[in-house]
Amino acid sequence: MEFKLEAHRIVSISLGKIYSARGQRGGLKLHKNLLVSLVLRSARQVYLSEPGCPPEPPPAACGPPEEPPPSPPPPPPQDEAGPRLPGAACQGPRPRRCCCGCCCCCASAGGEVNREAARPDCAAASAAAAPPPPHCPRKRSAAERGQAGSPVKKPRREAEEPPPPPPPPQGEQEDMETGNVASLISIFGSSFSGLLSKEPKGRRRPPLDGGEAAAATPAEAASEPGQICCDEPVLRTLNPWSTAIVAF
Amino acid sequence: MSQKQVGGPPGDNSTVDWCLYQLNGAAEFEVSEADIISTVEFNHTGELLATGDKGGRVVIFQREPESKNEPYNQGEYNVYSTFQSHEPEFDYLKSLEIEEKINKIKWLPQQNAAHSLLSTNDKTIKLWKITERDKRPEGYNLKDEEGKLKDLSTVTSLQVPVLKPMDLMVEVTPRRIFANGHTYHVNSISVNSDCETYMSADDLRINLWHLAITDRSFNIVDIKPANMEDLTEVITASEFHPHHCNLFVYSSSKGSLRLCDMRASALCDKHSKLYEEPEDPSNRSFFSEIISSVSDVKFSHSGRYMLTRDYLTVKVWDLNMETKPVETYQVHDYLRSKLCSLYENDCIFDKFECAWNGSDSVIMTGAYNNFFRMFDRNTKRDVTLEASRESSKPRAILKPRRVCVGGKRRKDDISVDSLDFTKKILHTAWHPTENIIAIAATNNLYIFQDKVNSEMH
Repeated sequence: MEFKLEAHRIVSISLGKIYSARGQRGGLKLHKNLLVSLVLRSARQVYLSEPGCPPEPPPAACGPPEEPPPSPPPPPPQDEAGPRLPGAACQGPRPRRCCCGCCCCCASAGGEVNREAARPDCAAASAAAAPPPPHCPRKRSAAERGQAGSPVKKPRREAEEPPPPPPPPQGEQEDMETGNVASLISIFGSSFSGLLSKEPKGRRRPPLDGGEAAAATPAEAASEPGQICCDEPVLRTLNPWSTAIVAF
Repeated sequence: MSQKQVGGPPGDNSTVDWCLYQLNGAAEFEVSEADIISTVEFNHTGELLATGDKGGRVVIFQREPESKNEPYNQGEYNVYSTFQSHEPEFDYLKSLEIEEKINKIKWLPQQNAAHSLLSTNDKTIKLWKITERDKRPEGYNLKDEEGKLKDLSTVTSLQVPVLKPMDLMVEVTPRRIFANGHTYHVNSISVNSDCETYMSADDLRINLWHLAITDRSFNIVDIKPANMEDLTEVITASEFHPHHCNLFVYSSSKGSLRLCDMRASALCDKHSKLYEEPEDPSNRSFFSEIISSVSDVKFSHSGRYMLTRDYLTVKVWDLNMETKPVETYQVHDYLRSKLCSLYENDCIFDKFECAWNGSDSVIMTGAYNNFFRMFDRNTKRDVTLEASRESSKPRAILKPRRVCVGGKRRKDDISVDSLDFTKKILHTAWHPTENIIAIAATNNLYIFQDKVNSEMH
């Protein structure tokens, strides 16, 4: 439990750093943001791994170049899908956990309400506090699929389904901002892909300046707290933070 | 505690006592961010010392030549020239401000009376020429003393202009501007031993330039993945071999070093040698990757070894051994249990530099609380010294400091929790031949000399 709390704390701190990095003078520091995203990934993994579930090795993108990169299709071994939709790998009801941060909108979507209500630690408390992230319906479908077949392959494919990362602006292939947003895409996996499909065009376009990057970052950051805020004590402490992020 | 410290030529049992020679910079409460020193570099003879700061300025100090008349001024580094190297710029396409902070300065070997150096910020490298003028011509026929044209009717005889001495004037001119070579932030530059080319490295690419050509450069390393989502490591530092003009090394954020040979191919993406130490699994934590990132790499003067600095250690690598470093020194291992707090306050991202002494027998690097450390490779002794106004009276020998980790605490020890993490020594330089070191502590430049050295003058 201590590890989970520490991991959660590290995730919060990391998100804060990514968020505040957009405003700093001199532009995004690629090196620092890469390191922060690596820490975020590790902490997120630890946080989401439960007792009884095998601990997941570092995600493919973090591994040596020989490992298959995350984007191309070949279905990876069970472990590696972890970071994509970590909950799915563990238990049946687990996939819904990913939705429970946004179960508010799941509730509004109707069909899922009963299933969500069955999980006491994922209740309306979060629904009341956090405004609905728009990507929820997408996540719900991931959860459904996660339940149905091999929970591993489907989420990964689902991650590949969304449109490719937004094209660089005005043919500028080397936009640092794009690169970093794309890194964040890989971090947040399917939740972010859901985000992409639901966001209005204006937001999806890669940010030309730090201001627009902010629009993407808090929104995708919101998916993170959404995913992990299932434990109630943690939930209560986290909500003001996630609310603030989303509100911004 | 014994005053014996590290240093001295190899095989020599004499020890080095460091004392403060001079201190430049305003008192701490007057610091503005622009004054923070961001790089320090001696030239090849040690006669000149250049510093760059966050405000884009370069200050060059020159060592006073020895003179019997003023024994106390000998060896003193006085301000020789100050100039604005880089200004803040704005990239309109990306709506990004480009900082004027000087990331690195490298001196060119002196080839004539003028001195030249390269200075770089995040995007642009500039070649500066520093010349002296101590004479001026007087007695022109057509111009008067102010330079105005004379009325020809007043000219009755011809004279030959003569050179008369004048007050020394140091002129600095930008001779080349190497712009638009980098998309990412430039972290290092290195002049080749051929004295014709140099390289500049950013997070993902390394470019080779000719010193006389500014409108093009050759890309020699490119580690940008086709899909930026696959990015896992960046280039953190690079340097040319001191003697072999075809060899260079670059370090990565994953803690590895790659030695590349430019004779092998035009694009050196494939390394000739990869230096990597397997991670110690018992030390694994969330921050293992961050602390293994190499912040600086330096070839030894001999060219046989490389020195790397990561967050907690300095390592000496033998060019002939790729599997592990030949020596590892702990700089401040007591921070290992505090990594989470250091991550929170961003200190874990601090990039410390490292340096060799002239004979490659001692290595030096900075730490927190204005401490800096020296490791003697021969005696295996190490020392922690402090650069602060309070603890350094001029000409008094520096007292070794100790950080206590708990357990028995001696007088004058500092506990880990009282360390001031805002006082960090990131930039240090060692004179190429003598025991003189320059330490940058925020906005202050400390110059320490070997007491024996300074007394001889």
